[in-house]
Amino acid sequence: MSARFIMPALMVAILSIAATPAPVSTRTGIYTQAQAADGAKLYAIRCAICHGRQLEGSYEIPALQGRFIANWSRAPLTNLNDYIARAMPQFAPGSLKSDETAKIVAYLLKENGLPAGSQTLPSGGAAMARIMLEPAPLTAEVALQAK
Amino acid sequence: MAQFDRSSIERRAMLRGSLGAAALLGLQACAPATNLGRAGIPTPGTGGKGSLRPMRITRDQLIDVKCCIRPLRAAGPNLGTQMVGDTLVIHNYGHGGSGWSLSWGSAEIAVSKALTALPREVAVVGCGIIGLTTAVVALQAGLKVTIYARESIQQTRSFRASGSFTPDSRVALADPAGPVFGDLWERMARYSWKAFRTYLGVAGNPVEFNDSYQLSDAPITRRLSPPDPSIGESFATAGAPRQNSEFGHYSDRIRDIVPQSQPLSDEENPFNVAHASRSSHMIFNFASYAHLLLSEFFARGGQFVMKDFHGPADYATLKEKLVINCTGYAARDLWQDHSVIPVRGQTGWLVPQPEAFYSVRYRNVSLTSKRDGIVVMNNNPDLGEMLGVGDSMELPKIADIEEGLKIIAPVFQPSPARSA
Repeated sequence: MSARFIMPALMVAILSIAATPAPVSTRTGIYTQAQAADGAKLYAIRCAICHGRQLEGSYEIPALQGRFIANWSRAPLTNLNDYIARAMPQFAPGSLKSDETAKIVAYLLKENGLPAGSQTLPSGGAAMARIMLEPAPLTAEVALQAK
Repeated sequence: MAQFDRSSIERRAMLRGSLGAAALLGLQACAPATNLGRAGIPTPGTGGKGSLRPMRITRDQLIDVKCCIRPLRAAGPNLGTQMVGDTLVIHNYGHGGSGWSLSWGSAEIAVSKALTALPREVAVVGCGIIGLTTAVVALQAGLKVTIYARESIQQTRSFRASGSFTPDSRVALADPAGPVFGDLWERMARYSWKAFRTYLGVAGNPVEFNDSYQLSDAPITRRLSPPDPSIGESFATAGAPRQNSEFGHYSDRIRDIVPQSQPLSDEENPFNVAHASRSSHMIFNFASYAHLLLSEFFARGGQFVMKDFHGPADYATLKEKLVINCTGYAARDLWQDHSVIPVRGQTGWLVPQPEAFYSVRYRNVSLTSKRDGIVVMNNNPDLGEMLGVGDSMELPKIADIEEGLKIIAPVFQPSPARSA
């Protein structure tokens, strides 16, 4: 391949990289307090009947802390978001509006020790897909208090 | 009611007759210089199916006395985390007299927390019921697990417990634990209850239910422990509880799933005591349960390394950088956690008598018939939950068990008034 072809190809590659936003971590404040507060209200109405008021679950029903967040980690946040949108609540799957689902996701992140910030969590799609779910660091300072 | 499926007259004669024979022998055998030996075994109950067979409680049936210290933490079990060098330690210790009962729920909380660090392997320090259960839960979650402990479960304090589901026995003090602990406790208790139910009917009967009779000379009422204002000190001032009212009680939170006590009519009461109530309770067969858990642990690839620890710094020398600390009472010294309060308890063990598979409690003495033996507990003097608090003497005192057998023997005696 001649230099004549290489240079444009490189340029395209560089431009496309620049056009794709870098992944961000859930540790960097990717939802707002207001979203989480709305999510708490939605959770109480739509989710708590099965998963418990304190996200504690039961022997048969998953708790929404600890191993739950680990199970959805190392993957785009859309995995969790889209699953909730498709399958939850189990008695009425698909009944949540997309912004409601995002608010519930925000609430779950908050309850798992992940910080709020100034960014509004997008309602699914490519904008959310670049957010990688990463659990809160498990140190004494931010250890999740079992509820 | 299997025990009482015959006609009233017939069953009274049968039960009272057989139980009475056993009790007479029990009294005689407990007397000094009396040696009935194995020949003192009473005539088996005449009833066969449907009868309540007597327990043989003669001194010669006593084959073991075990003593252990329960690790009461005023604030409830430590489930916190801390760093030791580059090693993250998740604590899971200090369950008082409720370690067995809360084991699965507590293990789930500790392992669930550990999983958020996205580990591939974890170390578990300690191999009592909390450590071994935690290790099995971690294996079930797909982690590589090594237990580091100085002994296997059979030699731990867990194996010197009584083996009944007692999820709020000296598990916390009400004020230091605060109202939030009740929610955590309920979560652990409900989770454990469900987990234990998965062992019902398994070969070897690692977990099962039996009928439990509470007997009393006076009408049976619920025991209350109102604060005694004359006792000025408390945990807040003395570092240890000073009266029963300081203990946290949470069992009402799960009364929707745990069998409750029902009074027996005079016709239903087969014992030589005026008042009786019956409940059903969950019991653990230490021998088969430990065998089952160890088998699962090794079958799933768990590793056991015999190791003693001498301080928190030792945790950072492990190759695993995530460690779940399940050291029970040992944490008091190892981690210098002086919020762990010793509560001494001891059990006598009679020869297993599966034909007399029930439990009785009278004047603070209990006999619990299990596959691995009849547990004798003499909770006298009558101090309630304060009994044993602050006592770290871990040698058994056999005389107390012998005294207990004497105290409870009359319940099996024939009653002249009743049998007439």
